[in-house]
Amino acid sequence: MRRGIDRAFAAATGICAAAVCALLLGIAGSIVWRGLSVLDWRFVSRLAAGAGASGGVLYEILGTLILVATALLVSAPLATGVALVQAVYLETRPRARRWLFVALYAANSVPSVLLGIAGLIVFSRWLGWGKSWLAGGILLGLMILPTVSVALIERLRSLPRRYLEAASGLGLTRSQVIWSVLLPQSLGGLVSGLLLGLARASGETAPILFAAAVFSGAGLPAGIRDSPVVALPYHIFVLAQDSLDPTVQDHLWGAAAVLLALVFALSLLALPVRLRIHEEAKSA
Amino acid sequence: MREGRHRRLELTRVASLGFTAFAALAFLGMLVLFTVESLPVWRQAGLGYLFGKRWFFRVHEFGILPMVYGTLAVSAVALLVAAPLGVGTAFFTVEVLPRRARLAVKTAVELLAGIPSVIYGLLGVLLLRDFVVRLLAHWDPLSGDTLMTGGLLLAVMILPTVMTLADDALSGVSAAQRTAARALGLTRAETALRVAARQAFPGLASAVLLGLGRALGETIAVFLVIGRQDNQWPKRLLSMEPLASAGQTLTTKLGGSETFISYGDPLHWGAVMGLALVLFAVVGVVSVAGARLALREGGGA
Repeated sequence: MRRGIDRAFAAATGICAAAVCALLLGIAGSIVWRGLSVLDWRFVSRLAAGAGASGGVLYEILGTLILVATALLVSAPLATGVALVQAVYLETRPRARRWLFVALYAANSVPSVLLGIAGLIVFSRWLGWGKSWLAGGILLGLMILPTVSVALIERLRSLPRRYLEAASGLGLTRSQVIWSVLLPQSLGGLVSGLLLGLARASGETAPILFAAAVFSGAGLPAGIRDSPVVALPYHIFVLAQDSLDPTVQDHLWGAAAVLLALVFALSLLALPVRLRIHEEAKSA
Repeated sequence: MREGRHRRLELTRVASLGFTAFAALAFLGMLVLFTVESLPVWRQAGLGYLFGKRWFFRVHEFGILPMVYGTLAVSAVALLVAAPLGVGTAFFTVEVLPRRARLAVKTAVELLAGIPSVIYGLLGVLLLRDFVVRLLAHWDPLSGDTLMTGGLLLAVMILPTVMTLADDALSGVSAAQRTAARALGLTRAETALRVAARQAFPGLASAVLLGLGRALGETIAVFLVIGRQDNQWPKRLLSMEPLASAGQTLTTKLGGSETFISYGDPLHWGAVMGLALVLFAVVGVVSVAGARLALREGGGA
């Protein structure tokens, strides 16, 4: 009887795990299978045609890269600052430290559409910008800030205590300890956090919906105000609302395959570091 | 490293505190922003805004109850599917699988978490809609754009969140506890369900809460498959019928065209901003509760 329950437990949970893996394979498989028939060099190297419904997606790829690069530049310094405050400067104040951590979780769960709307108010209404790549990059940078900060914090906390002791034994000031010991030693955490964040940012639609992206008619931005970009996720989002046309469907699968390749490449790069940190943090 | 020895201005410290203050201001500022911008509608409609069942912006009638219902309905469907599946998978990876295989499943889940919501939306449009029409044939849906479609899509999307956090919670239970339980003659299932699950309960609850927080706020994927039909207040709350028809959630309304066209009309704009405020508040409460539960167990912080 107890043996039977034990087997049933293993079977039932195993079915759950198998279902999850099947989901991933099914999703990735259907996109690769449908996308590959469309995907070739011309698809990623040519401009969109037919008001975006056919042709290639070159500018969409470039636009996405511009947004992601901006998000990187915005979030890297901000996240480093937040992580240093949480892990170093608040060392003597555990309550404040804990609250900052909870706040990061909370910020991470702010629905991304709200960032988009806040961006509409701040950039379009207050500053009078039209749609702008910079607005989109800043919003995406803010969106991934918690992810990047938490990755860096986890790494900072897992550094061996003796590094700090040795550094203060040498009489280094706190800034010197930070720049010559803490940050170089935890660079892996920052990099993997950034890669993971950027993987998320490259696929997000909602934050760029109102303040940054247009569907067609934008090339490379020439300025900041009124310089919208076209971007892969927004491209897919708009076309998906008009998906009954079979030629549009092919184009859609192709665009989805390109986006997914970009996202998976970024998250796979981050994966080894991420899994390792995770395991280390637990055994410590 | 003692303070006071070097009283000079530390640039690193100032920059870090400044950046943190900026980030906090950006997120708290959103709350203030939505509150201030939505004032007109609270003045005009008061609590009727929350409990009104009709939204007709041309005659300045703003009630958000049907959208609140839509949000709760899709999230409930998502949780009913994703919570057992996610927690079940976590039990399997922690209690049954050997370490190496466990990493493989975790990798799959991390990748699943990375798939952009617009791609989930696209799959919903091209594949899930037809499936739901067949699934709900008994209730005769008008099209594949239903609350159920949105809910099922959300279930897949929050699955990684639930699974990863549940996995963290379960593997946080100390090995000594497990060994002791096994030594007392408990089977693997008994150890998992009576010892580990009880110990990890706050963590499991927080996994479900943070999954719920994600479901409540997800926009793009749901937008594409829910039909975006206003004023869908169900005649019977607890039946399958409303799930088999189109609807609207707080987020799909916000992502739609009214955010643009309400621009010139302060009251209409206020009503749209009210949606943002309500969404922010609900998601905020759920996620802070979830985060506090997760951190209580002496994990991260």
